[in-house]
Amino acid sequence: MLQRLSIEWMKLKHYRTFWILSLLYMVSIFGANYIVFRVQQAIYEEKQSKGMAELVLGTPPFAFPNVWHTTTYISSFLLFLPGLLMIISVTNEYSYRTHRQNIIDGWNRREFITMKIVLAAIGALISTVFVALTALLFGFVQGEPFTTEKGIFIFYFFIQALSYSLVALLFAILFKRGGLAIGIFFLYALVLENLIAGLMNRFLDYSGRYLPLESTDNLIPFPLLENVQRKIIKAPNITALLIVSLVYLVLYYFFINRKFETDDL
Amino acid sequence: MAILTVENLHKNYGIIQALKGVSFTVPKGSVFGILGPNGSGKTTMLGIIVGILRATSGSVKLFDETPTREHRKQIGTFLETPNFYHYLNAVQNLEIAAAIKGHGKEDIDKVLKMVSLDQRRLSKFSTYSLGMKQRLALASCMLGSPDVMIFDEPTNGLDPVGIAETRELIKKLNKEGKTIIMASHLLDEVEKVCTHVAILQKGTLITHGHVDEILIQEDIVEAGAADAQQLLAALQSFPGASKVKMNEVHAEAFFPTGTANLEAVNQYCFNKGITLNHLRLRKKSLEAKFFELTQNNK
Repeated sequence: MLQRLSIEWMKLKHYRTFWILSLLYMVSIFGANYIVFRVQQAIYEEKQSKGMAELVLGTPPFAFPNVWHTTTYISSFLLFLPGLLMIISVTNEYSYRTHRQNIIDGWNRREFITMKIVLAAIGALISTVFVALTALLFGFVQGEPFTTEKGIFIFYFFIQALSYSLVALLFAILFKRGGLAIGIFFLYALVLENLIAGLMNRFLDYSGRYLPLESTDNLIPFPLLENVQRKIIKAPNITALLIVSLVYLVLYYFFINRKFETDDL
Repeated sequence: MAILTVENLHKNYGIIQALKGVSFTVPKGSVFGILGPNGSGKTTMLGIIVGILRATSGSVKLFDETPTREHRKQIGTFLETPNFYHYLNAVQNLEIAAAIKGHGKEDIDKVLKMVSLDQRRLSKFSTYSLGMKQRLALASCMLGSPDVMIFDEPTNGLDPVGIAETRELIKKLNKEGKTIIMASHLLDEVEKVCTHVAILQKGTLITHGHVDEILIQEDIVEAGAADAQQLLAALQSFPGASKVKMNEVHAEAFFPTGTANLEAVNQYCFNKGITLNHLRLRKKSLEAKFFELTQNNK
């Protein structure tokens, strides 16, 4: 396993596109949170608006423990990027035909595809760690005492990141060509699923929440005005969402393996 | 021990039958050529042998066993195109191949020298010419010095010098005791390099065996005289001729390779009272032989 991991590392180590995008992704996580943080600062620093904000929003969103929720929510909008990296690194193998050569040279199909799944998990883990560090940073800057209350959102974020990466991997294996897989992944993640979910939520009693990416998106709901939200929309059942998300992850795992093992490469 | 045994192999792509029940055996120490025109199923068959395509039915055995990754690690394979990471250089690419095969880096310099790529070892693969990519693929096959190598059209895209070098390399590897399985659509390449041949056409194995038996070459003696019919009749009874017939202008007598003797033919005809006005020795072309083999199976 470690030996195979070192081979994947050899593939990525000198791949500049990957590193540039990874770096920009990290910068963007920090940047996106910083933008919202600045808005919060502006509101809470001015006396008049501060009173209003405290009345409506309660404690600042970047203060512990809310910061765990706020940061993971904001950062989750950038999760298409690890998905993109996943698609690039897999469809590259298809276009260079190195997926064939790796098998020819002595890997099993299972070994090859397992490494891609492991990469997705590592990517999700690194994203999560970085988001956690970002949350800590803003939490401490805000100045409230540290607490792990609401820290569960970091775990939800990991599930969400893993879900996005595995859906991306699945699309890469289904469509094989980079442009096509990226296009469909973006359209699905950003538009199509939200559209279907919206319709299902409207007409089929919020069942759209249990669609593949929606189920993990809903683990981290919009962090503000929760009381107002409760009056307008039905509260999500977090336990059910978590179970459904895990079931989806298992399904991705089996489907990715099965597809790669039975295909002509 | 047979290196490779293929039994009743079928492969369908939808309604297209790419392989229709192919069976043959590759003996140890041979250079086994798989000869066939484009689209005859050569690459499909090699793809099944190395595990990247799934056979519809039939079986493949490597070293008399069902193929696993351990068998593939003992075989250097170059299938269809050179497959490397474009953004890595030759050494980095070979490091990955060597690691997958379970070898260290110790062979890399040696194999790069063998294909004369050592000057460009640190250039990115994407900057290579087609011929260089091809040679890097050959180098990758030789990592760990495997006893068996599979080459799919190894000289495709090479210049004449490259072609000659590659053929010499294959012969040299075979002299060292290695078994080589190679696909080619070039008859003359198979004839020059291979000890055994299997001829594939439209997914069917037409014939296979020792090259000398399959691609028997014949000498043809072309003779002309004023009375062509008399000459033809005389040659019919010439000892050693396997077949005698007329072409457009001349009479043709066929002999097994190396047995045609122009002097004897001339003397024989003269003794029969025929004066020749044309006498020439021709080799039957391999292409003609190949067409003959494949035409019979239409």
